[in-house]
Amino acid sequence: MRKVYMAVVLLGLVAIIGNHLTSPSSGRAVSPEDFAGACAPCGAPCPSKK
Amino acid sequence: MSTATLSAPNTGAALGIDRLFLSLALAATAILIALVLLDGQTASALLIVGGFGLGVAFLKAEFSYTASWRRFLTRGEAGGLIGGLIVIAVAALAIVPVAALSKGFGGAIAPLGVSLIVGAFVFGIGMQLANGCGSGTLYTAGGGSGRMLIALAFFMVGSVFGSLSLPAFLRLGGIDPVLASDYLGPWGGLIATLFSLVLAAAIMAAVAVKRGANWKPSRNYIVGGIAIGLLCIFVFAAGGHPWSVTFGYTVWGAKIFQALGFDFSHSEFWQWAGPKHALAESVLSDTSSLTDFGMLFGAMAAAAATKPFAANAWPPVKSLLAAAVGGLLMGWGARLGFGCNIGAFVGGVASGSLHGWVWFGSALCGCLIGIRLRPLFGLSKD
Repeated sequence: MRKVYMAVVLLGLVAIIGNHLTSPSSGRAVSPEDFAGACAPCGAPCPSKK
Repeated sequence: MSTATLSAPNTGAALGIDRLFLSLALAATAILIALVLLDGQTASALLIVGGFGLGVAFLKAEFSYTASWRRFLTRGEAGGLIGGLIVIAVAALAIVPVAALSKGFGGAIAPLGVSLIVGAFVFGIGMQLANGCGSGTLYTAGGGSGRMLIALAFFMVGSVFGSLSLPAFLRLGGIDPVLASDYLGPWGGLIATLFSLVLAAAIMAAVAVKRGANWKPSRNYIVGGIAIGLLCIFVFAAGGHPWSVTFGYTVWGAKIFQALGFDFSHSEFWQWAGPKHALAESVLSDTSSLTDFGMLFGAMAAAAATKPFAANAWPPVKSLLAAAVGGLLMGWGARLGFGCNIGAFVGGVASGSLHGWVWFGSALCGCLIGIRLRPLFGLSKD
C-alpha cells in the first residue's frame, strides 16, 4: 500500500503543480458563492431568479 | 539508523515516526504554500494552513461523523453527535454575526427543495457504505487508508455526475434560502442558531437516555470539537465563507474528465459563473481545493508522525467495492444536496441557514438505509 500511496501522492502533486502553472489565476482564491446570483456553495442560482 | 524505504516502513525511529511520509507531507504542503505565495495569495496560503490544521485535528481526535451517526442510529449513543454540534456552536459564534455584518463575508446558504432532500438522503446512504463522509474521506485517505483512496476517487466521479444532474433537480422546485439573521438580525440569528443546537442536543440526549445509552461526548470529541470549531473560524476568516469540502472534489473530477476529452461547454452547471471560473482557473484558485489539499497532507503528517504510514494490508474486495459505491453515492448526493456534513450541515447550521438542518434530517434517514446495506459488503452494522 505504501508504494501505491507514494505513486498517488507524487502523481497528484505533479498534477496540481502542472494545472497551476498552465492555468490562469485571478490573483485570489474564490468560492462559487463569491459570484453574483449564487445561492449555494456550488454557485447554483436561487429558485426565485428563474 | 535505517534509511527510509517504500517497502519496509522506516520504523527505526524509537518514536515511531515515518520520516519518509512525514517529509513528503511537509514538503508537499510547503510547495503548495510557496506556489500561492508566489502569486501573492496570502489568503490562499492561510487556507492551506487551516486545512492542514483540520487534518491534524480530525486525525488526532479520531473525529468521525459517520461512526457517530451510526452509533446513534444503532445503539442510541449520542456522544459523537453532540460532539459534532460543539463544532457548529463554536463556528457559529463567529460566522452568523460576521457574515451578516461584514462586507466580504458570507454564510453557507442553499435553497430548500427536492434537490437538497434527495441529495442529502443519497449522501447518507453513501457515507455509511464508504465509512466516511466528505471530511472523513479526506482525512482517512490522507491518514493512510487505501480503502478511502478508492472512496475519494469515486467521490470525484460521482460529484461530476452530480454536477450534470443538479440543474434538472433544481427545476423540480424549491424556495430561496432561509437565513436566521435575515429575520432576526445578526445577534438574534446567533441566539436562534445556538438555541437550535441546544434543542437538537437535548433531543439526542433524551433519545440516548431512553435507549439506555451514553449521551456524553468523550474528551476527544469535546477537545477535538472545540479545536475543529476554532479552525472552522480560521478558514472562514481566510476565505470569507464557511469551510466546504466537496466542491473541490467536483472541480478535480471535472478537470480530469476534461483532460480526457470530455466537453463541459454544454453542461448548465459548468456555465454558472462560479463553476465555470473554477474549471478554467488554477486548482489553487478554488478555496475548497486549498483546504482539501491542506487537510490531506495535514492528516498524512499527523499519521506519519506517530506510526509507520499506510502499513496495513489492503482490505477485502467487498470492502473496496463498498468504498467505491459509497464514494459514487456521496459524490452525486453532495452536489444535489449542496455539500456534505461540512459544507451543508456544519457550514449551513453555523451560518443560521435552515438548509443545514434539512440536510441533517435527510442524511440521517439515508444513513438508516446505508447501515442496512453494509452487511452486503461484509461490513458490520455497528
